[in-house]
Amino acid sequence: MQTRKCLAALCLLGALLPAAAIAKPIAFAKGKAVMAEYGADTMNEVQFFYAPKYWWSGGAGWLELKSEDVDKQRHIAYVRANLLAKRWNLPAAQANVFVWGGLGRATGNDFDGSTLARNAGFQTDYETRRVYASFRSDLQESDHFSHRIDTLQLGWSPYAHDYETLATWFVVQERRYSGDLFDGTETALLVRFFKGGTWVEVGATTDGKLQAMAMLNF
Amino acid sequence: MKILKTIAFGLLLGASTLASASTIEMDVSGLVCAFCAQGIEKTLKHFPATQAVFVSLEDRIVAVQLKDGSDIDDATLRKAITDAGYTIVAINRTDESLDAIRSRVSAKAHAHG
Repeated sequence: MQTRKCLAALCLLGALLPAAAIAKPIAFAKGKAVMAEYGADTMNEVQFFYAPKYWWSGGAGWLELKSEDVDKQRHIAYVRANLLAKRWNLPAAQANVFVWGGLGRATGNDFDGSTLARNAGFQTDYETRRVYASFRSDLQESDHFSHRIDTLQLGWSPYAHDYETLATWFVVQERRYSGDLFDGTETALLVRFFKGGTWVEVGATTDGKLQAMAMLNF
Repeated sequence: MKILKTIAFGLLLGASTLASASTIEMDVSGLVCAFCAQGIEKTLKHFPATQAVFVSLEDRIVAVQLKDGSDIDDATLRKAITDAGYTIVAINRTDESLDAIRSRVSAKAHAHG
């Protein structure tokens, strides 16, 4: 009985985790980015970033995590800085390493009051006009919770988009949760479109939960 | 007097026709994502000498059409591309118009199917 309760609690924790789709945290110099995401009914997030230079951006966000039965909820308002640690510009490809860190304030219905929240992470990616690969690790922690989410994305484009045409990508996403989290891998299939400064992404996890994300750069 | 004015006007008209805008074509590395490359176009359009900008991921080029009698020096162009997060490989100045470059790139893309 106790083992079952323990497993149920772990599942609940796993369900709290964000199912974030991934884009680069810095778009371009003097650019502003607004992003909104709906993640499998367990996560909602909005972000706003401004990049004074191509190698760093700063901004704020709000993250909501919900357990599947909506019994546990967390809300984290945060400020964050992103840094392009390294970029390789190749003739027909680009690779990047990003790091970020931030502080916020979290509330939740499984602890009293609010608590200081800390966030840190990194992303590495490689892309051509036809294939894309990225790995991201994101840690959210406070005195009351600690979650690390590792995400791998592999993308393929059926055609090579150009600057003024619509880009289409099919992306497979694998996510693992570690720390004091439920062990397991979540798989999602996504379709991504972008043109100009508009990016939309929609898909589902293999257990049929919707994921959608929209981003605007201007 | 009238004849002199007419001749002077004709000479001025001819001179303005001969002084057509030129184009700068740059080879750039890292140009693989249109969403991210917007910064290049935004930066180049801020220059007073810029008439228009064309970006091609297929040919990995960024072309700037200059306003009549204007220019942007190589050092400024290199800094603009670098500050946008990309690597400039070569800078070429040409009399080819932006439309001609656009047609050339488009024809090449169609030929490759």
